[in-house]
Amino acid sequence: MEGLQGEYERALRSYLRQGGESSLKQAYELGRRALSGGQGILDMIALHQQSVEKILGDTQQIGVLHQAGDFFVELMSPFEMTHRAFGEANDTLRRLNESLESETRRIARALHDESGQLLAAVHIQLRQMARGLSPGAQFNLTEIETLLEQVEQQLRNFSHELRPTVLDDYGLVPALQTLAEKFSKRFDLPVNVDGKVNPRLTRSVEAAMYRVTQEALNNVARHAKASRVSIRLWRIPGEFHCCIRDDGVGFDPAAVAKGSRNTLGLLGIRERLTVLGGTLEIESAPQQGTELRIFVPVEA
Amino acid sequence: MDAERNPFGAAASADPAAGNGRDRVLEEIAVRIDGDTDIVSARQKGRVLAATLGFSSSELTLIATAISELARNIVLYAKQGEIVLRVLERGDQRGVMVRAHDQGPGIPDIRRALQGGFSTSRSLGLGLPGVRRLMDEFEIESRIGQGTTVTARKWKR
Repeated sequence: MEGLQGEYERALRSYLRQGGESSLKQAYELGRRALSGGQGILDMIALHQQSVEKILGDTQQIGVLHQAGDFFVELMSPFEMTHRAFGEANDTLRRLNESLESETRRIARALHDESGQLLAAVHIQLRQMARGLSPGAQFNLTEIETLLEQVEQQLRNFSHELRPTVLDDYGLVPALQTLAEKFSKRFDLPVNVDGKVNPRLTRSVEAAMYRVTQEALNNVARHAKASRVSIRLWRIPGEFHCCIRDDGVGFDPAAVAKGSRNTLGLLGIRERLTVLGGTLEIESAPQQGTELRIFVPVEA
Repeated sequence: MDAERNPFGAAASADPAAGNGRDRVLEEIAVRIDGDTDIVSARQKGRVLAATLGFSSSELTLIATAISELARNIVLYAKQGEIVLRVLERGDQRGVMVRAHDQGPGIPDIRRALQGGFSTSRSLGLGLPGVRRLMDEFEIESRIGQGTTVTARKWKR
């Protein structure tokens, strides 16, 4: 808090001396830092008040200013309660999401590994059984084996849909590359994935970003009539960015705010990002393609 | 003697209900709540009491806000009741306690009332859930048709 106080005071002094957007931006950045450091609204008012009082020094208006500040804090106190409620709700949502992800991961692993092993054992037993059987019975067994293989394939698909193992084993970029390859084949639409995410993101951010990209690609396939898609990912201290661009027919982003039916996918993306404290910016216009710009705060 | 047995009088300082006897009561003020002007008086007395412990001015605001919310609830739902303000000592910590007591209709579903989403004001995080978030400790007892006692404490850091 002391550090923030000093920085805020210096930035404010500089702004009062010469104005300018860069001081304003600094105030904004300090606000962001205070927010992620768990500071509340009343803390910020106190910060501002103390800085202004120090800058004004021993002048006649200082008493009035001080009293007005006390008055203002009372006005803002209900907002502090709401601010705290929001923080608590967001924490709960994040914890819920994390436990959902870990449960999903557990089920996906069980489907993939345990059921897979059991079925492999069944295959071996069937082949041993087949040796002593008549050709007619052997043919029936082959039919059963074909059905078993279909079951296996289906279990693998379920497992992958729940939680791609490539995500856990290799990280976000390889997982998205695999996703993109499958998507390209299925829709005959080239998707380029480019980027480095080092060090790896947390599991919940990786999982959310995988789903977000999946949803974004689904949107492209459903609505965009695009001829190519590019996905770029990068990480800088404290920030993760992802940009998904297509050259399709585009749309009017204002329609998203109104929540028309075709935008449910984008709402889903936004909800996933909100849980992580992230944001989604949509740039699009009819016939201009679409760009989704995603930002998620991460540990620095 | 506690607030339940003697709801509108100033309780004696040896209060077995205060933090299960962990807390020593150093000072106590009781304010009868009968209408909006009493809310002002409870806020003001609470602020002065807390100021003697050296709480920062934003913390004093939070304490006054908690008093306001509790007193508002009394006026709104029970029409009348009492706010007891105390300076407490627990180990080497000092703090303030705000206790709101009424003999009103009681709260039918405390869990829901504390979770929010119960009414518009609560879904914004005001009311009882707001008080819980502003203070360090929060307890509530309510019986249908008998009344409600809410106790909240904030410790000086």
